[in-house]
Amino acid sequence: MLLSVDNLDVRYGHAQVLHDVSMHLNQGELVCVVGRNGAGKTTLLKTIGGFMKPAAGSVNFQGKRIDGQPLEQVALSGLKYVYQDKRVFGELTVRENIELAAYPSHESLDQAIAKVVAIHPKMQKLLDAKAKGLSGGERQILLIGRALIGDPKLLLIDEPTEGLAAIIIGEIINILAAMKSKITMVVVEQNLATVSRLADRVYVMKEGVFSREITDPEIIANPAAYEDEL
Amino acid sequence: MINFIQSILYGLTIGGILYIISIGLSLTFGAMGIVNFAHGLIYAVGAYALYSVATLLGANFLVGALAAVAVSIPLAYLIERFIIRRLYGQSIDYAIIATYAVLLIGADALKWFFGASPLPISDPVGELWYFGGLQMPAFRVIIIALSVLVFLGLSLFFKKTLVGKIVVAGLQDREAVRSLGIKVERYFAIVFVIGSALAALGGVLYAPLSTLDPYMGFEIIILCFAVVIVGGMGNLRGTAIAAFTLGMVHSLTAAYLVSSAADAMVYVVMAVVLIFRPIDAPA
Amino acid sequence: MFSKVEKYPALTLALIAVSFLIFGYSTSLPKITDFIIFCIFVIGFDLLYGHMGQLSFGHMLYLGAGAYGCGMFAYHVYPDPFLSLLVGVLVGAGLAAILGLVVVKTSHAAFALLNLALNEVGAYLVLSPLHTWTGGEDGLSLFFKSYGFINFSDRTFRFYFCLAALLLVVLLVVRLVRSPYGILLKSIKENETRVKFLGYNTYMYKYVTFIISGAIVGFSGALTSLNLAYCNTSLMAPSRNVEVIFAALMGGAGSVLGAVVGGTAFMTISNYLASYIVRWEMFLGVALLAFAFWFRKGIWGYARKL
Repeated sequence: MLLSVDNLDVRYGHAQVLHDVSMHLNQGELVCVVGRNGAGKTTLLKTIGGFMKPAAGSVNFQGKRIDGQPLEQVALSGLKYVYQDKRVFGELTVRENIELAAYPSHESLDQAIAKVVAIHPKMQKLLDAKAKGLSGGERQILLIGRALIGDPKLLLIDEPTEGLAAIIIGEIINILAAMKSKITMVVVEQNLATVSRLADRVYVMKEGVFSREITDPEIIANPAAYEDEL
Repeated sequence: MINFIQSILYGLTIGGILYIISIGLSLTFGAMGIVNFAHGLIYAVGAYALYSVATLLGANFLVGALAAVAVSIPLAYLIERFIIRRLYGQSIDYAIIATYAVLLIGADALKWFFGASPLPISDPVGELWYFGGLQMPAFRVIIIALSVLVFLGLSLFFKKTLVGKIVVAGLQDREAVRSLGIKVERYFAIVFVIGSALAALGGVLYAPLSTLDPYMGFEIIILCFAVVIVGGMGNLRGTAIAAFTLGMVHSLTAAYLVSSAADAMVYVVMAVVLIFRPIDAPA
Repeated sequence: MFSKVEKYPALTLALIAVSFLIFGYSTSLPKITDFIIFCIFVIGFDLLYGHMGQLSFGHMLYLGAGAYGCGMFAYHVYPDPFLSLLVGVLVGAGLAAILGLVVVKTSHAAFALLNLALNEVGAYLVLSPLHTWTGGEDGLSLFFKSYGFINFSDRTFRFYFCLAALLLVVLLVVRLVRSPYGILLKSIKENETRVKFLGYNTYMYKYVTFIISGAIVGFSGALTSLNLAYCNTSLMAPSRNVEVIFAALMGGAGSVLGAVVGGTAFMTISNYLASYIVRWEMFLGVALLAFAFWFRKGIWGYARKL
């Protein structure tokens, strides 16, 4: 088992956001977490990613307990988080954004750039542009590419298609689908069409608990079957 | 007209010194969300180190300046390690109180060693330069040139070096840098020490224009906070613009209104800026 | 045991009154009068710091405004003690009402520093441009009219008058922080965004609190003028802001009794121990660090649990 999340409770001050959440992930899987705004999806992802400390429960990654460890250490252990709001380092160029990701990973800058360009060739031309000038789709590609540097074992991707135009969403889905064979992913997504095309397994989250786990590919492929559970 | 140009040049001198001192303050403010009163101590220690080496030991001014920067580095390291680092992510009030306490302790220590009375340091160049009808102490011209050099050097540092880029990224989004696996605090600490060394340099440059006293850090630090607030916390270019603008306000007030009102006018400008652009330190 | 004291305002008032009476008669009445006035200052300051969550690094401005308001009225207009006091309070509150329009828009670092900067401006104005009215560096020597036993040159009367003033302020602030208004203030301190979300105009609440704080601090400034029979620039000195901050922190921020305990503790140290402490600022700095790092609840915060 690559990732094991057991009985997680997470609080913001007095408000409890996650209640006794457990989830398990095997190597090579792509699991989607769906649910409404405020259901606790991002909180779950951020807790796994080392951004937040759970009040109770544990997160084990590759057999090692990682909850409560510093964020840097979690990232270096091979678990990368891709931000929801397309947070790139705007004052830096695309190349510098990649350089920063390559630095702690012991990958050369050329190798790292090659990885990002491999995702989408148009990044080659944008290398010297300031990241704050990129479009939403370009930022997302940069973020995903950046996360792949250093060969992580697990990607946590938060709402990759949110706010993007339909054509770009198609491209992002293709990118993620192409990555499926190489890396394990947890994807938080509200767009069920995306989910139905990508997911091996789906967790439905509601008010801080998993209300349903869907494993049947036929049901996953047919979003209408679980749409009204959100 | 000559007078006006003279005041402008004096304003540039004060602006240059304010810039050199404020840059470290602005970075600490922007990167770590910490109001660092202890910065004023480093400035004062820089000036006193110069005094000890250049006046008491009779060495060259340049040697004294180097000594000031050399002393500031371990002192800054200690302050970062034992005070600033404990304040990350805590309520900013404790940062204000704790760093103010360090300034108090340091000022008292300076008073202990050097006495409370003001100490003079003479102009190291001691030459006047004439441009047409204008006369200008050479030392002030050097100050302006140095501040421009510091600005260019820092711009290069933040553009070209990895440490600089990490700090620029960290100023915008500390968490995102950490999530790449980079211990961003370590790089902030490096920049903290650089900023402190510059504060010591500021002390060295300002000392010959004025006198030393143990409380000199208190006076300068509030002016520098005004620079940081007007320029935007953690905004490198803004800090430079604000420093020179406020330096100008300072010098023109002194020349055309009342010389004792110069500091007060700077604070008034800061208050006015805050009316139109409320600012908060990063949480 | 001590936590019970806080539950009953009458008990709080009695405890404060009895303590100061014992303290006053066992040491010296004029000295303890200084203590009492300083406690009022701490309470006014802590209304912002402990209750509203904003640290002002420039509240000496309002102390000075009250002191000069009172002093200048008595000196230039009419030496009635009560009118002068009232003017002092009004000047403190009025200045807070004007500056608060801007200051309250800021928070945390900017709030602290803007207050400090304004304090610097105030100190400059009093010292230099306004020196014809304020007496500049020398300050003003004051005389107040007396009416029978109401005689402010009598130290015993001053002691009782200031003690009564402290009790009044304590009662007012205790009622204020327990009212729905005070509870809202506490919520603003904890999470202003959430309170805003609930539809409250948090700016208005903070603004009003800033004015009340200015009035209370102005009151303590006016009492200082009355008590000392002079006012000078030391009553507005920006470098003295650390005293009230230290007192609030040491006593335990966010509690009226904490403010009184802190004010008394600070005055005790500075009056009785300062002569033994050779390096006073070093001592103050180390003590501040200790409270900022290790004893954040302050003396009262720990005592109330006993």
